[in-house]
Amino acid sequence: MASTTARAGSLPRYLLTRLALVIPMVWILITLVFFLMRGIGDPITASLGGRLPADQLRARIHAAGYDRPILVQYGDYLWKLLHGDLGTTVTDNRPVTEVLRVNGAATLELAFWAFLVALAIGIPLGRIAARHRDRIPDVFLRVSGVLFYAAPVFFVGLLGKLVFSIWLDWLPVSGRASAKTILAINHVSPKTNIYLIDAILYGEPSYIWDVLWHTIMPAITLGLLVGGIFLRLVRTNLLQTMKDDYVEAARARGVKEGRINRKHAFKNAMVPVVTVMGLQAALLLGGAILTEETFEWQGLGYMLAQYLIKRDFVAVQGIVTVMAIVVVVASFVIDVITALIDPRVRYK
Amino acid sequence: MHKSAKLTLITALGVSVAMVVAACGSGRTDNTTTSSQPSESSSSQESSAPADSGESSATSSAAGDTGSAGSGATIAIGTTDKVVSLDPAGSYDNGSLMLELQLYQFLMNIPAGQSTPTPDAAQSCDFTDNGATYTCKMKEGLTFSNGDPLTAKDVAFSFQRVVDINDPNGPASLLGNMKSVAAPDDSTVVFTLVNANDQTWPFVLGTSAGPIVDSKVYPADKLLSDEQAVGSGPYKLDSYSKNELVSLVPNASYNGNGGDVKNAGVTLQYFTDASNLKLAVQQGDVDVAWRTLDPQSITDLKSNDKVKVLEGPGGEDRYIVFNLKTMPGDNDAQKLAIRRAIAYSVDRQALATKVFQDQYQPAYSMVPDGFPGHVDAFKDEFGDAPNKDAAAKALSDAGVTTPVTLPIEYNPDHYGSASDLQFNEIKSQLEATGLFKVNLQSSEWTTYSKERTQDAYPIYQLGWYPDFPDADNYLTPFLAPNNFVQAHYCDADAAEGSRPCDTDGVLPLLTTEQTQSGDARISAIEQIQQISATGVMPTLPLLQGKQIAVTGTDVTGVQDTLDATFLFRFWMIGKNS
Repeated sequence: MASTTARAGSLPRYLLTRLALVIPMVWILITLVFFLMRGIGDPITASLGGRLPADQLRARIHAAGYDRPILVQYGDYLWKLLHGDLGTTVTDNRPVTEVLRVNGAATLELAFWAFLVALAIGIPLGRIAARHRDRIPDVFLRVSGVLFYAAPVFFVGLLGKLVFSIWLDWLPVSGRASAKTILAINHVSPKTNIYLIDAILYGEPSYIWDVLWHTIMPAITLGLLVGGIFLRLVRTNLLQTMKDDYVEAARARGVKEGRINRKHAFKNAMVPVVTVMGLQAALLLGGAILTEETFEWQGLGYMLAQYLIKRDFVAVQGIVTVMAIVVVVASFVIDVITALIDPRVRYK
Repeated sequence: MHKSAKLTLITALGVSVAMVVAACGSGRTDNTTTSSQPSESSSSQESSAPADSGESSATSSAAGDTGSAGSGATIAIGTTDKVVSLDPAGSYDNGSLMLELQLYQFLMNIPAGQSTPTPDAAQSCDFTDNGATYTCKMKEGLTFSNGDPLTAKDVAFSFQRVVDINDPNGPASLLGNMKSVAAPDDSTVVFTLVNANDQTWPFVLGTSAGPIVDSKVYPADKLLSDEQAVGSGPYKLDSYSKNELVSLVPNASYNGNGGDVKNAGVTLQYFTDASNLKLAVQQGDVDVAWRTLDPQSITDLKSNDKVKVLEGPGGEDRYIVFNLKTMPGDNDAQKLAIRRAIAYSVDRQALATKVFQDQYQPAYSMVPDGFPGHVDAFKDEFGDAPNKDAAAKALSDAGVTTPVTLPIEYNPDHYGSASDLQFNEIKSQLEATGLFKVNLQSSEWTTYSKERTQDAYPIYQLGWYPDFPDADNYLTPFLAPNNFVQAHYCDADAAEGSRPCDTDGVLPLLTTEQTQSGDARISAIEQIQQISATGVMPTLPLLQGKQIAVTGTDVTGVQDTLDATFLFRFWMIGKNS
């Protein structure tokens, strides 16, 4: 009985500890971003430094409060953040919450499709590679997996555009949808800013098709990045599982190799893979910045790059804070799932 | 049920629900049929009924410059110029002004093909009270696109709120010469000026500070969100996704100096990457690509039969600036000799052709070619080709030991991606004379723009895009006391009489061109340009940009708007049927 109680109490304690770590992690990150952004200039100098005399620039910087002591600005920023006020972007006068809502939906849409592509590539190819271990298909897929992961996203994207948009003229060059579609789906309520949903709500099949058509290349470009990791992960875990005793026992009972793979080994091999999949949130967000830039996909990554160039620290802080929270929460959720699946984790 | 069958069933159900929702169009809020143009509906201006009614005849002016609601095709335009704000009090940038020009009226602005402002919302404007005030009479019967009447009180409100809000991104600094603005009645606006007879004031009325807003809609002390923008210009907002996609439809109540609207509306699509903009116009996704394609893309497009590359005069200038205190040279005479030797040595045509593939042209004056009063002062003084002998003589006469080491600083991320190539070419040209050894360095923009005014760079790159298309805007910011360049040509805190601007004698001439009109003004502008080449020469003009638009072969009217005003007038663009 004593042993059972200890086990029951360990999970909440473990989760509380993990949760407590989330707060300092986010705080450290936003603090770093705050001070780094203040070190690379201000948005007013970035936009008007080539037009105004120094005294007028100083007056504008003063009016905006960017010449106050840095710690005062930091305290002000944290206070507002604690009250849920992320501010208004300096360079295009948008509430940061609006940027997060509108452009965040675009990133979510891209990440969703990219994740599907990654699963569609990683899992079956990983199984094939494991099944043909050390033979030509395996070698080819292992090399492909490394290439998918290692090739810069923007390079893959540009290559895709060159081949499929310019040479073959099959797919659109950039954007989330054609202008006509965007103008139409602006007239839906509720507007989700996830174009596929908005197009479905609008009810015009050609617009749905248009949205999907624009999604193909960005989703594949970003999906390949994560798919390469999945491929290698599935292969490794499947090979490991195929050596387990219960698999040997199944073989001894005369179960066919294909059935062992499909019915027994594959499901067990996927357990650690599922946890790792969740951890790819950071990779997806990182890759999304380059993918969105390449394809003019106006998501959070795209906006982050634009605001960084303009030194718009209000916007950058807001976006990075939310991205950090997403990654940290995803890690926390994975920790929870892992702890639920594997009790050994709680006792570490 | 077998698991895979369950999965198939769930998937089929999901797809079916999606298809049913799609077929019903349950979420759409417009009334258009699926085959209609989306731009026929309105999402952003709920109170626009009067404007939609097309009752514009009451606003016809005596001058007969009433615009008409558009006809023809919808035009798709692509650009990389982003919007900061559509509220005029919060924007002072090209991207915002491009849209503001379509949405708002100004008291005065410059029609296509002309060089001086003419009344737009005003019936007439003139200096009064011996030039101490500038008074405008309004056209009668003007309305905003939401139906509200546009009166002198709206005009006074518009200018006053720019000053009162004083937004960090706003154009308040353009109104430095406005002491006050008042509307004594609904048809009269009176500006009281700090400096009387300011000849640039009519131009200022057509800048980012000049759009007229609806005092019933715009708050007096803060900015209005872009989606709510209301003006009385040729267009009104139909749909607005900031810096992604904007749809404009003609404003039937427009009554300005722009003429007829030659299209049924405009969609403006934003790009970040110039290569994506190039591909969009190449593949027909947009009808017009306007600002900013890189030189290589433009060269590629010139050989493409599907598009036309159109060029117009540009006012974007590129200079080398000399810090008169810190540049090489033991004394003022040696420093001047080095500046003149550099002027003799640079090959502007080679820069324009080799680096910019002729999308810039040589600049031989502080005032760009095409402006009233322009003279090729630097060509007259230094020639249009490098002259090594003259450069060597200038240096030897001043006792300068050669080779002179020149520390030159440039910025690679603000003046275009070709800055690296441009300054490496300048380095090659200068070193080819054997008279100079160039130490080339670069800094990123925020550092660069701070350091250049703090004497950190002895010789450096500078670019200029004008606030308004007048010669004064290329002279005063560079030569007047406490100027924008701040390279010690005319320091406000230095003793008057001994400053380079005093010895050059430019200040009386600047006063003349700022306060007098006609021949006296033109003469002063010409003299200032000549002095800037023959005198202390604090700045060396190198290149003048061209305006370049790329259009489909069936697009019309773009060439007409590519004039020296740099105003891109959407309403002039049409399509051949």
